Amino acid sequence: MKNTKDTMKVTLHPDWDEIEPLRLQAHDFFGSHGLSGNTIQSLVMVLGELLENSVKYGSYKVLNGQINISINITKKIITIEVTNPIDDSNLDDLKRLDQMIQWVRGYQDPFEAYIERLKEVAKKPLHDKESGLGIVRVAYEGDVILDFFVSEDNLLTVSAVLTR
Amino acid sequence: MDREEYTFQALLVDDKGKIPIEAKYSAKFAVQIKFLDDQIREDGYEFRNLVFIIDDEQVDLGPCRFLTQSEGDGHAGYLFFVGDIYDLDSLLFHKKKVILQGPFGNLPIILEHKHKIRQQFKDYTASLTYDLSVYKNLFDSLDAEYAFEPEMVRKVVQQTIIANEGKTFFEYFDSQLRELQRIVADFSKEEHERHGFYFRKQVWNYITLTPFMRRTNLKPRGYSGDSAMMRMIYIKEELGDSTFSKLLHKHCIERPAAEAVRNRRTLIANTLINKLSNSVLSPGERFKVLSVACGPAFEIQDLLSNPKDCEIYDFTLLDQDKAALAEAASLVGQIELNLGARIKVGYLQESVRTMLSTLRLASKLGQFHFIYSMGLFDYLTPPVARAVLWNLYQLLQPEGEMIVGNFHVSNPNRIYMEYWGDWVLYYRTEEEFFNLLKSGAEAARSTTFDETGIQMFLQIKRLR
Repeated sequence: MKNTKDTMKVTLHPDWDEIEPLRLQAHDFFGSHGLSGNTIQSLVMVLGELLENSVKYGSYKVLNGQINISINITKKIITIEVTNPIDDSNLDDLKRLDQMIQWVRGYQDPFEAYIERLKEVAKKPLHDKESGLGIVRVAYEGDVILDFFVSEDNLLTVSAVLTR
Repeated sequence: MDREEYTFQALLVDDKGKIPIEAKYSAKFAVQIKFLDDQIREDGYEFRNLVFIIDDEQVDLGPCRFLTQSEGDGHAGYLFFVGDIYDLDSLLFHKKKVILQGPFGNLPIILEHKHKIRQQFKDYTASLTYDLSVYKNLFDSLDAEYAFEPEMVRKVVQQTIIANEGKTFFEYFDSQLRELQRIVADFSKEEHERHGFYFRKQVWNYITLTPFMRRTNLKPRGYSGDSAMMRMIYIKEELGDSTFSKLLHKHCIERPAAEAVRNRRTLIANTLINKLSNSVLSPGERFKVLSVACGPAFEIQDLLSNPKDCEIYDFTLLDQDKAALAEAASLVGQIELNLGARIKVGYLQESVRTMLSTLRLASKLGQFHFIYSMGLFDYLTPPVARAVLWNLYQLLQPEGEMIVGNFHVSNPNRIYMEYWGDWVLYYRTEEEFFNLLKSGAEAARSTTFDETGIQMFLQIKRLR
């Protein structure tokens, strides 16, 4: 863990049990910067969702496969980044994520994307148990701008940016 | 087999029990049926439930009404839903349970969304929509007066109206945009979002009759700023079904923000030609150019004015959108036809967000003398913009140059674009843009602007 006043960096094992302690740690970190209760709740929710996706969809077959978390607070923006390894089997998921993120960001109001998504979810196949709302809900309820990038060494970094 | 030829086993439920039936798809919201118990039901009889078995799972569709039919094709009649109306095409052929009235379920939260709208904003919107309606009626009534004149007469009359009364309308509309800007000046991000949503609901009829705004709002390719939008801006064509819709369209594409987009096209071409003239190429070597998020690649026609030019360049055009690449390819084909020469160009359908994992860029593409990207960084948040810029930088040859664009935070049309166009960009200051390149890069860099001061450019020269 390498922390400075405005940056918190943590490395996790892809273990569900590690998520809650990190949420609490992030809660304190946001609190120490004087953010409002609502903003802290939103950011902690966003972090939790990104971490859950990371544990769920990351590819940790490689020894020491880990999740890196970076939170940075500046005057103008707050950035949360969650990085995990992926492999070629994730390519279709990435394409979907890319389309979904651009689609959500195509709306000025993430609420509108949320409503449109609800309509789509209502049309999902009978046996599909996924809500299909994940990314859209994070953007709407967290009021953050989501984005992602894959590096050459197959590390996926999903970021959430809150403009202040 | 046609859909109408498929039959399905199902059950109808009433107070007396379950009745087996054979159902035939007849329409999206009705099925034709045969009762398998040989009983006769009267016209209008209501059943409590219609049940289909799909993949061994019981799917309850609720109450429905039986209507007899007179055609003697062996069927007893039709079933129509009386509560939730299910889309049988989706259910029976795509295994999706879709209720026609489903979107009504979201009504409460959509209606609730207006509760935090400021009164001043509501008053502004109400007054604006009244005025727009008056203007529209007036222009429409003029259109009706000359609708049956010969085409040439219609065109000239319409041009005269656009030049005179259109100018008056533009003055009015500009004043309204200034007022909107004033009212929302102190809004938080969340308030902009909420008020923008409310605003577009009120002016939706005007948005949909304006070709440019209809596209920015509906985003048929799933993202903002697609190549068709760029084409509308570049070509500046008069589009619209009526004088009023033409005026609204013209207003959009004549704003400084659109001018900035047009400016960047010529600036790219000039910068590239300048770089080429200062470069020393080995015999047989071509000047390698990469355009990232190339869109329709209109600037290529500004670079190639004679067959000899075609022998100099080796273009790689990268875009996530197949349709944009097809437009670029069609343009390249047209230039080749006009000049009677072949252009060396490669097309790559890739997203900048995932290209590194799929391309192994440098080994696959080599390095470039010149890289440019105009309408991309406006959509990238800082962490992603930094990563993309760094990777593009690494694709530069030593002494190679790169130019990327981003709209400046001072864009005077920002509120217009966001509230009317539902078009949100990631704006940057000069400092933020300048600092996107990681400190480890051995590069000379500078920021410049186009004439409008809206389009900002970051120019990077790789030193080693």
